[in-house]
Amino acid sequence: MTRLAAILDERNITYTAVAQRAHLQARTIRQLATGETPIDRVAVGTVRRIAAALSVPVAELLEPEHPFPGDAAMSRGARLSAAIRAVMWSGAAVPYLSPVEDAAPDEIATLPADQFFADMPAIHARHG
Amino acid sequence: MLGTAEVYRRVSEADELSSGDIAFLSLARTRLAGEMPPGDVFDPAGRIPAYPRPALISLPHDREVAIDTMFALVVTHSCEIDRQKNADVESPHFDCRLTVAPIVAESAVRLVTRDGEDETVNWAAIEANDPVSSLYLPPITDISALVPGAEPIAWPRSFADLRGLTTVSRRMVVADRLCGLTPGYVAVLQKQLARFFTWRDLARHELVESLVGRRVVGAVPLNARGDRLRVALTADDGSSLTVEMKAR
Repeated sequence: MTRLAAILDERNITYTAVAQRAHLQARTIRQLATGETPIDRVAVGTVRRIAAALSVPVAELLEPEHPFPGDAAMSRGARLSAAIRAVMWSGAAVPYLSPVEDAAPDEIATLPADQFFADMPAIHARHG
Repeated sequence: MLGTAEVYRRVSEADELSSGDIAFLSLARTRLAGEMPPGDVFDPAGRIPAYPRPALISLPHDREVAIDTMFALVVTHSCEIDRQKNADVESPHFDCRLTVAPIVAESAVRLVTRDGEDETVNWAAIEANDPVSSLYLPPITDISALVPGAEPIAWPRSFADLRGLTTVSRRMVVADRLCGLTPGYVAVLQKQLARFFTWRDLARHELVESLVGRRVVGAVPLNARGDRLRVALTADDGSSLTVEMKAR
């Protein structure tokens, strides 16, 4: 859940109500609250208007910095935990092209790997 | 239903890199500014998706680099990794790139068809590894069981998307490895890779269909291995197709 969504939820305010106060479209508020549009991707003025409409500092609406690979300021465990939360459990599910093809089911899909490779020379998982 | 122990194994920073390692990485793709893959010109079947929230770096002449920071699965075969490591060269000269596939989490995306309609039922097919371009990765209830020092949080069900293969530095993989796949599940990865590349590069439906009704004017044997023979066929319109035949 985004910080904006948490504030709206906590105060029981609708997207439309905030939009009216901030002189923005309700759709803009929804996209920001759901995370469909990250709040750091819109104009600073837009964030300021929403903050003013909610009477909160701008900083309170900004999402925490995402962890980045190789961040030496964090331990490996902390970095990977933060990454899982940020990347694998992000607030809004955005459209993504499904890997499922329209083609008829593939019989090969149900074969276990050892049968699939049965007539090939053995491949060692580690040593090739 | 696959259990965690059947699919995942612990890795430490000191462990050798391996096919099936999962790491937190930044993956870069160059493209025309604002271009949404696949790009109709390149792949009318729409098979190559874009991860939805890339960071963008502008390049001159209306080009850009889209950078997706996400988890990814190493698909470079382990023996190939070993060959790079064992090559008779100084370590800075190792072939440092590993091929990885981005990992797409159920909770982060909403699967859609090419027409943009919801495809939520597709998870059943993905779990069965039915699509040729994905490898199913089951959920983990507590990641700290695999990663010492990690918080006790869950890993959602997800899949590695072979359509988004890219290369990264091997040192980046070492630095942020989460866990690996068990040897048994690496075999499943290998099967999916074989299916994917056969489907994608050798047996494109469009190529086969375009050859139907054409007269084959040339057949060039390419190589033979065991009882298999690869032959390049040329049609009367100049199009060509490589097929592999098995002797009976």
